[in-house]
Amino acid sequence: MIIDHPLLGPRDVSEFVYLGDASLINRPDSQNENAAKHFYEYLYLRENPAGEHRELWYHEHGDRSWLVVTRDTLTHKITRVELARDTALAAGRNK
Amino acid sequence: MSDFMLKVRSPLDGIELTYGDVAIREITDRDIVSIAIPLGGTETLSKAVISAYQTELPAVGRCAKSHVDNAHFLGMAPDQYFIVFDRSGSESTDKITSKLGKTGYFTDQSDSWVMMRIGGPKSRTALERICPIDLHPTVFPEESVTRTLMEHLSTIILSEGNDHYLLLSARSSAGSFLQVLQKSVENVL
Amino acid sequence: MSQINRISGGLIDRDKTLNFKFDGRVFEGHPGDTLASALLANGQRLVGRSFKYHRPRGIVTAGSEEPNALVQLRRGAHQEPNTRATETELFEGLEATSQNHRGSLKYDLMAVNDLLSPFLTAGFYYKTFMWPKGFWEKVYEPAIRASAGLGRLSGEPDPDTYDKGFLHCDILIIGGGAAGLSAALTAGRSGARVILAEENFRMGGRLIAETLELGGMSGTEWVTETLAELTAMTNLRFMPRTTVYGAFDHGIYGTLERMTDHLSSNEQKPRQVLWRIYSKRAILCAGATERLIAFGNNDRPGVMLAGATRAYVNRWAVTPGQRIAIFTNNNDGWRTATDLTEKGVEVTAVVDTRDGPARVTPSGASVVMGGRIIDTKGRHGIRSLTLSNGQTIPADCLAVSGGWNPNVHLTCHQGGRPVWRDDIAAFTPGDNLPVGMTVAGAANGSLGLAGALAEGGKAGNVATQDIGYSRSNYTAPKTEEEAVGISAFWYVKESRQRSWLDLQNDVTIKDVQLACQEGFSAVEHMKRYTTLGMATDQGKMANVPALAVLAECTNKSIPDTGTTVFRPPYSPVSIGAFAGRSRGNDFRPYRLTPSHDWAVEQSAVFVETGMWLRARWFPQPGETHWRQHVDREVLQTRKSVGVCDVTTLGKIDIQGRDAPAFLNSVYANAFGKLAVGKVRYGLMLREDGIAMDDGTTARLSEKRFVMTTTTANAVSVFRHLEFCRQCLWPGMDVHVISATEQFAQYSVAGPNSRRLLGRLVDPEFDISNEAFPFMACAEITVCGGTPARLFRISFSGELAYEIAVPTRYGDALIRVLIAAGEPFDVVPYGTEALSVMRIEKGHPAGGELNGQTTAHDLGMGRLLSKSTDYIGNTLRQRPGLNFEDRPTLMGFRPVDRSTNLTAGAHIIAKGKEATMENDEGWISSVASSPTLKYSIGLGFIKRGSRRLGDVIRVVNPLKGEDVEAEIVSPHFFDPDGERLRV
Repeated sequence: MIIDHPLLGPRDVSEFVYLGDASLINRPDSQNENAAKHFYEYLYLRENPAGEHRELWYHEHGDRSWLVVTRDTLTHKITRVELARDTALAAGRNK
Repeated sequence: MSDFMLKVRSPLDGIELTYGDVAIREITDRDIVSIAIPLGGTETLSKAVISAYQTELPAVGRCAKSHVDNAHFLGMAPDQYFIVFDRSGSESTDKITSKLGKTGYFTDQSDSWVMMRIGGPKSRTALERICPIDLHPTVFPEESVTRTLMEHLSTIILSEGNDHYLLLSARSSAGSFLQVLQKSVENVL
Repeated sequence: MSQINRISGGLIDRDKTLNFKFDGRVFEGHPGDTLASALLANGQRLVGRSFKYHRPRGIVTAGSEEPNALVQLRRGAHQEPNTRATETELFEGLEATSQNHRGSLKYDLMAVNDLLSPFLTAGFYYKTFMWPKGFWEKVYEPAIRASAGLGRLSGEPDPDTYDKGFLHCDILIIGGGAAGLSAALTAGRSGARVILAEENFRMGGRLIAETLELGGMSGTEWVTETLAELTAMTNLRFMPRTTVYGAFDHGIYGTLERMTDHLSSNEQKPRQVLWRIYSKRAILCAGATERLIAFGNNDRPGVMLAGATRAYVNRWAVTPGQRIAIFTNNNDGWRTATDLTEKGVEVTAVVDTRDGPARVTPSGASVVMGGRIIDTKGRHGIRSLTLSNGQTIPADCLAVSGGWNPNVHLTCHQGGRPVWRDDIAAFTPGDNLPVGMTVAGAANGSLGLAGALAEGGKAGNVATQDIGYSRSNYTAPKTEEEAVGISAFWYVKESRQRSWLDLQNDVTIKDVQLACQEGFSAVEHMKRYTTLGMATDQGKMANVPALAVLAECTNKSIPDTGTTVFRPPYSPVSIGAFAGRSRGNDFRPYRLTPSHDWAVEQSAVFVETGMWLRARWFPQPGETHWRQHVDREVLQTRKSVGVCDVTTLGKIDIQGRDAPAFLNSVYANAFGKLAVGKVRYGLMLREDGIAMDDGTTARLSEKRFVMTTTTANAVSVFRHLEFCRQCLWPGMDVHVISATEQFAQYSVAGPNSRRLLGRLVDPEFDISNEAFPFMACAEITVCGGTPARLFRISFSGELAYEIAVPTRYGDALIRVLIAAGEPFDVVPYGTEALSVMRIEKGHPAGGELNGQTTAHDLGMGRLLSKSTDYIGNTLRQRPGLNFEDRPTLMGFRPVDRSTNLTAGAHIIAKGKEATMENDEGWISSVASSPTLKYSIGLGFIKRGSRRLGDVIRVVNPLKGEDVEAEIVSPHFFDPDGERLRV
């Protein structure tokens, strides 16, 4: 596979490490009264789509960016690659 | 005065090898400092670099050169640069601090890497055997820089133009990396 | 007699003669020959024995689809089985032997199998080897193993070398025939970066095997002219002898280039290179493969594809026989007759399955329209054939054309399915092609030359324009349009003899019919039941005719029957090529510590920890057992002072205004208030509450820390920190960078460690106990101004320090430490002594931080930060991680001090049976303690802390060990830490 890095262009998958569902960015607030339930869902409950999937890849042998890659699990077609930091900021994670 | 002295050793003791028209040489007279941009401090750092080095900070994947200390700024990551410059008597991070003050977070990387130069008409052909990056001059022109994976080793490659490349690979595996390079050259001669 | 079948013309160099050996006999050939063409030139028709029935077999094809002519090439360790003679370029001194016979090739003792053929039909294995039960291991399996496979491996390590590489292009053109060369012309003229890969050693494909004219030139002339233009292009890379064996995701192609296989000696250069080609567009011009028609005894040497017959006659100037008959269901058979006649070869008959008028009548040949061949005769090669009308025709070669299958393989590697075309009676590429691929020429079902030239040229233009290049001028040369005129005909029903479909795996029409009768009528079932298409040729010729037979049995159409799935590789790839250079010491890189050279000088014994090589122990003269080395190293360290290289621990430089808050969040214990100049032990949890890693972190300034990790987790912890920084808390001002390689770090441990270091540390730095107490750290200078970092931390439990200098001084520092330690009889110690000392102290390491244990399990519950929201804080409180019975870390020592504990052993109560139900925990680390003089262990046991003093059993069923042990504190040695603080 080739991941089209938003800053570096197309790069071979061997430079990357896979983590999992991009929802791992959305770490719950531990101060919330239902924190235990939220963390359980955050860590253990995942969609497993046959089709489009947003997932986290780390460019370990590159620029050390975490990326959110939108990939079709059936065809491996990649339609979008973003810096995970931007995704996290857009989700309001800057404190 | 201490009774003991610590002698300096470079990762490959300054090796120089020539195979036909391909030359491999260890570079031992350059220091490396990583510069991280404090959150929100891009402009401050940028100005400091322009003022001290008369050059703009490069984009990720590019190299910017300065005549001051023969410095090369390498754009390694969205918030990180490497500055590679001629080694002098003073400690590397002190030198950068003297130029850039507290505009960035500096970490000495001079001893973290083995720095090699490979050059000659067949050097790109040799690198084809280990480097997944497209090194064709239209794609990776002079002053392009990136980190990639060569034979299990994370390696930074910088195009110096004209079939010359600067390679930075982890210091502890310098011996293995040299073997990798040697074999690649031998296999294409 | 030499080269009796050599005729005039051809693309061989007659000025040079090459000598080669087949089955020990010396033959002659010429440069340009393949082993197959040279054998045919010398009249050698019999080249091997078939897999199951040991039937005599000859050369059938002229390319990579060859099912029969598989030989062992070269000798000794260089020998390679199952090499296709049809692809092997002849070189001086080539040696080949035939395969799969006992006794000589001509008189194979195993030919008895042929008489047993009624018992060896489809499903034979499944029916026969079922009973008696005990026979499988003792009788059947050894017998099957002995007869499995065709060739033999040398049994020696492969002395050849292989390599891998990466190529990039705009356009990859697969196949250098008419379509591929035309595509290369347009793509190349546009200026795009083009790779042209051709599996043969000579570009041209069918153009150099046929006598077709184009643009007023012969095929060979046109190829020569085209190559002249293409080779002058600097943007085009020619890759003959290169097989594109697989189409992978996103325009990546797996490719094997044979570099030195065609040379007598490779002079230590790689035999083959496995390329990963990255392309923006690919044009598949892989051509088509001809297929046989099945009839009685159609497997005899001398039965050959018609196209191959023409290739041998036209390209290689070899006639496969002196009297050739032709059997065809399309116009190619007639073209064969014309070519042979022109070369002066006698054609004895043309048998066409179609009705209608004869197209030409070669002089002296019988022409039979609507004819059927039902049988052949000849023991070691065909002598005559019998028609259904009773006519017998003499022939020493039978050229058969059953039509052509477009080579659609690569179009299917990404899930595409081919579609059936009735007009050419073949499967053609479907519409679900790999990303960026187009198909041109015969591979696309355009079997004529004009179509190939036009489609190739167009495909090159479309692909380059697609990626932004301008269109190039191209006019396809004029050629006579030939109609295929095929009328599907798969097998002769009138034959009473066995009719072969898959020559390599010995599968006949009857086998397919039997499979169908017995219920294996789905195509994938039929394939496995009969093994059709499962040999090294993957059924390139056999699959489609077999589908036709299956379709008939099931009363379905061929497209409804469907094909089996095409998977890479297109043709076999040596395992050696997949391994590349990753063999022996090149298997993976080594990481060496700064003291490595010095340790080698001390005759240290090394251990691999990940990629690192670390000194395990340092043997001394007179010591005969590793325990002696380790005991001495431990005792001397505890008595005076020892030095150990701990550079391999991960070091991460952490800077930023929010660095303290960041550490509070990633560690389970608080770091925010750590004073500058101090070090603290840190435990890191995973989000699920399980311990992930531990280490010490020092605060160098308000905004700067240096974290250490375990050697094993250095990479994964760094990755985790980047995840936290970028994905979880992108608003924090914090940066991390690895400094593992930057510093050479040595542990200096033992009562005399301060005195030793006092000889190095520059006098302006006070390292007295008062000025530099336990858990202090400082940036200092040593040996007259060399910058260093000093940490007063201890893994051994002794008064100890870790000293770090920039790695360029690492080699010098170990030598200085040893020299400065001479008055104290300093001892270097390795990883084993390090481990013994940490177990004596009860420090957890890999065996304890095993991905199952929590802070509480490790006895570190008190450490946990109460106030902050750190990773793992919420889920560590789950009931499942906090129930009373959870095993917790304790120490163990044998009741009988002369016995030993074993790591991995289970803990069972006295008097209970050693079963899973009675399992109470496990031993995670053990050591023979030279300090205590008995075996000690760390382990996890239910309700551990409340069972101090209890005696349990440590059971290792694997070795039959069952030892009584006492539960003690995990801190065996100096439990109050008095030695650390002196």
